[in-house]
Amino acid sequence: MSGGRPRAGSVFGRGSPREDVEREIRAHIALRAEELEEAGWSPREALEEAERLFGDRASIAEECRRVTERHDRSVRRAKMWGSFMHDVKYALRALARSPGFTLAGVLTLAIGIGANAAIFSVVYGVLLKPLPYDEPEALVQLFELRNDGGTMSVAWRNFTDWDEGLESFGGLAAYNSGPTTVLGGDLPLNVRVATVSRDFWDVFRVVPVRGRLTGPEDHTPEAAPVLVIGQRLWESEFGGRPLDEITLEVGSARARVVGVVPAGFDFPDGSELWGQAEPFGNTSRTSHNWRVVGRLDAGTSIDVAEQEADALTKVIVQDEPDADPAFIAAGATAVTLRERMVGSSRTPLVLLFGAAALVLLVACTNLASTLLARGTTRARELEIRSSLGAGRGRIVRQLLTEGLVLALLGGTAGVALAVGLTRALRALGPEGLPRIDDVGVNGVVLLFAAGIAVVSTLAFGLFPALRLTRASSGGALRSGTRGNTVDPRGPVWRLLVGIEVALALVLLAGSGLLVRSFQQLMSEDLGFDGRDVATAPVALSRIKYETDHDHARLYGELLAELEAHPAVLSAGLMSTLPASGSLPNYLMELDGDLSRTTVGGYVVASAGAFDALDIPLLRGRHFDDRDGPDDAHVAIVSEGFAEATWPGEDPIGRQVTGGGMDNFWEERRFAEVVGVVGDVRVRDLAAEPYPTVYFPYTQRPFRIQFGAQVVAEASAGDAASVVGPLRETIRRVDPDVPVRVVLQREVVDSALASRRFMMMLLGGFSVVCLLLACVGIYGVVAYSVARRTREMGIRVALGADPSSVGRMVVGSSMRLVVGGVVVGIAGAVFATRLLRGLLYEVQPGDPLTLAGVTLVLVATALLASWIPARAGTRTDPMVTMRAE
Amino acid sequence: MTKRPLELIKGTLDVLILKTLSAGALHGYGISRSLRDTTQNDFDVEEGALYPALRRLEKRGYVESEWGVTDTGREAKFYRLTPAGRAELESSVQAWHRYVRAMARVLGSPAAGG
Repeated sequence: MSGGRPRAGSVFGRGSPREDVEREIRAHIALRAEELEEAGWSPREALEEAERLFGDRASIAEECRRVTERHDRSVRRAKMWGSFMHDVKYALRALARSPGFTLAGVLTLAIGIGANAAIFSVVYGVLLKPLPYDEPEALVQLFELRNDGGTMSVAWRNFTDWDEGLESFGGLAAYNSGPTTVLGGDLPLNVRVATVSRDFWDVFRVVPVRGRLTGPEDHTPEAAPVLVIGQRLWESEFGGRPLDEITLEVGSARARVVGVVPAGFDFPDGSELWGQAEPFGNTSRTSHNWRVVGRLDAGTSIDVAEQEADALTKVIVQDEPDADPAFIAAGATAVTLRERMVGSSRTPLVLLFGAAALVLLVACTNLASTLLARGTTRARELEIRSSLGAGRGRIVRQLLTEGLVLALLGGTAGVALAVGLTRALRALGPEGLPRIDDVGVNGVVLLFAAGIAVVSTLAFGLFPALRLTRASSGGALRSGTRGNTVDPRGPVWRLLVGIEVALALVLLAGSGLLVRSFQQLMSEDLGFDGRDVATAPVALSRIKYETDHDHARLYGELLAELEAHPAVLSAGLMSTLPASGSLPNYLMELDGDLSRTTVGGYVVASAGAFDALDIPLLRGRHFDDRDGPDDAHVAIVSEGFAEATWPGEDPIGRQVTGGGMDNFWEERRFAEVVGVVGDVRVRDLAAEPYPTVYFPYTQRPFRIQFGAQVVAEASAGDAASVVGPLRETIRRVDPDVPVRVVLQREVVDSALASRRFMMMLLGGFSVVCLLLACVGIYGVVAYSVARRTREMGIRVALGADPSSVGRMVVGSSMRLVVGGVVVGIAGAVFATRLLRGLLYEVQPGDPLTLAGVTLVLVATALLASWIPARAGTRTDPMVTMRAE
Repeated sequence: MTKRPLELIKGTLDVLILKTLSAGALHGYGISRSLRDTTQNDFDVEEGALYPALRRLEKRGYVESEWGVTDTGREAKFYRLTPAGRAELESSVQAWHRYVRAMARVLGSPAAGG
């Protein structure tokens, strides 16, 4: 019964899997019923019983189908993978066959991708990556608004009123920080110490890795001084030893260390120690010494918080109606912490990113034109494949696979390049660039690189692929000779190269403007000459030297020793060095009348500092022995201050007193102006000098308790020759002073660092862009020469001067360059406006710059087309003819 | 003797089918009947459960199938073991013997447990 035989070539062919299953189930049930009938069942009962015994027909049929489908899917996948791998193998073979093309393509892509990935890694690390705090988007910085609309730091009493009154914030903290001498480790240290108010740790939600954070009991004006230390400092300077063994002298206080915070936390500005702010709080609404950060309550927007703070500020300042309107808050403004930290870096970085994108665009254009050119040589191959039955889609897929393989190779090389570039950027990056240390090639950057690699190859590989497959139907097989066919790719290729030229010109113009700005700035008289000067920031222990006059005495001793040193031509001190970036300014009272005021920069100095820095004395005299602490107070003013304050009058003998710090501690005492010195650029080298008043440190030593810059000018003319003497002398006078010597030249350099950084990067991009464009020009000329060798050979054979033929080829490529230049200049005039904020005394679209870079570009382009043209016309015409 | 029908352990059906086909080609119902006869209804399995298993074995290349007619003239799909199926059967049988021995060692021999 179960016998029978399968028959070959069955009339029941295979139906669809579904029908097949149904049929088989029907057969089973029929056979079963047949058997039951033989056992004596009635036909109807037999059928019913057979069906029951079989089970759930529908679900079994369904399961059969699932088994089949699952299998078929995996077979299909395997087949597709196999075909893809075949394409890849084929692509690798094709690429290996033309190593020159492959190398050029990979390098081009690598440059484009490498530049972009490197800049992106900086953009990501600096601008995009979240700040390393818990829920950082809720962190907001509050500022007071000046009556002229600018922002200023916050006065303590305003902070405390905000802290009590504002409801938008879950916590609000005041803080400031500065480099400070710290004693108690193995060596005297100079580290950034922050003073922070009670809720600081809550606002940042910091969890200590050891010990505890400062709590409410520590944050009172009378509490014993305690410190929280950063993990890195704790480990490097104190070997991670138990906290109760560490007591530090910081400023005027001896403080216990109570806790360690994780190494990643260094807010604000890279601080490594945190103490209490409350003992330094005061009741002033006009001494703007604090910065304020807060955590927004969940659901509160920054706009609401700003409005609330602004409204409250306008109310609280009314209790000081007599305050100088320039120094009391006119309102308040809020900005996210992230914006505050990275906002100023955004424009330059976005510009660089744009420049890198242009480089990529040019690289891809090159790639597309190279692929097109290669297509010419491959037209026959494609034709053969298509006549053998490969569909257009199949060929396009093959060409795209080739593109993807190229992208993979180029992308890999690009990432390698980006790793190197990123490292260089981190080293070169100006100190001012926030979070630059975090920058690196990470997963996000890799993803980005892979993305642009794939997108650029698809975009720029698909186009030639489609064009080629269309062109290949034209009949490359039939045309035995290449010489006379009109090539449809010529115009497109020439257009691509023209675009490259235009883009290169835009970049060149941008970097040209930056170079010009830099030159202008370098040729500017900064008001001082620090090339032969070494400086050392010195901060004395405020425990060892109790009063400010003790400090002054020690500095006097130090300066005397320095001046006596043979290597030192002159030595002095200044509270703020030229080009150092920031200059405190205060209200200055004038002419013995406390109600007559102006605003000026405030610097405490010694006479030797002016000599050392070659700041010229224009009138009157320098500070000298007559200006002891008990003598009548004197001051020197900058030329700008004299002109602004006493226009057309003789400043000598007029009276001024520095507002700010001195006045809180001493009776207001006017100083007589005894001299006028030249203006000096302190804050921003690219900004006009700020009107400034200098006081002798001997009479107003308050400021130098917190540190001063000691300067020494070398007798030998080389600043490096005083570094040693400066360091040794400071050590000898007080071994507890941490010494770090920098050259004034470096101070100026670091003030120029971000300009230089921008200039070098943009310059680098434009050079790369120019080179790529030249490669493009070279390619187009070499190609047209190769296509026309026969024609040229004939011309030369007929007696044409080879050089005239060469001129013809070069001329045709120069028409293309000129077209690109015209478009590029138009683009540059428009695009360089974006640079406006970075320029110095040169206008965007500056004709001289544009002319200069155009000249450079045209000259390079000429060279790039002349080389292949010459090589082409040198070919022996007979060789060319025979080759056909 | 009252015996509780055994539930099929996963994968068991595949081995049983292969074993059944090792004697020669059979159609689906034939396999079902042969199983019924040789196992004497020890296993509680719907007759239909056979077919997904057959499909699976076919996709794995252990059996191949072809439509044909039975002795009684009815159409049926016939299954035949492939060389790969034969090899699979051998290795499964060995694995089963090992498995059974191991279980028996732990649980005691059927006679002792009786």
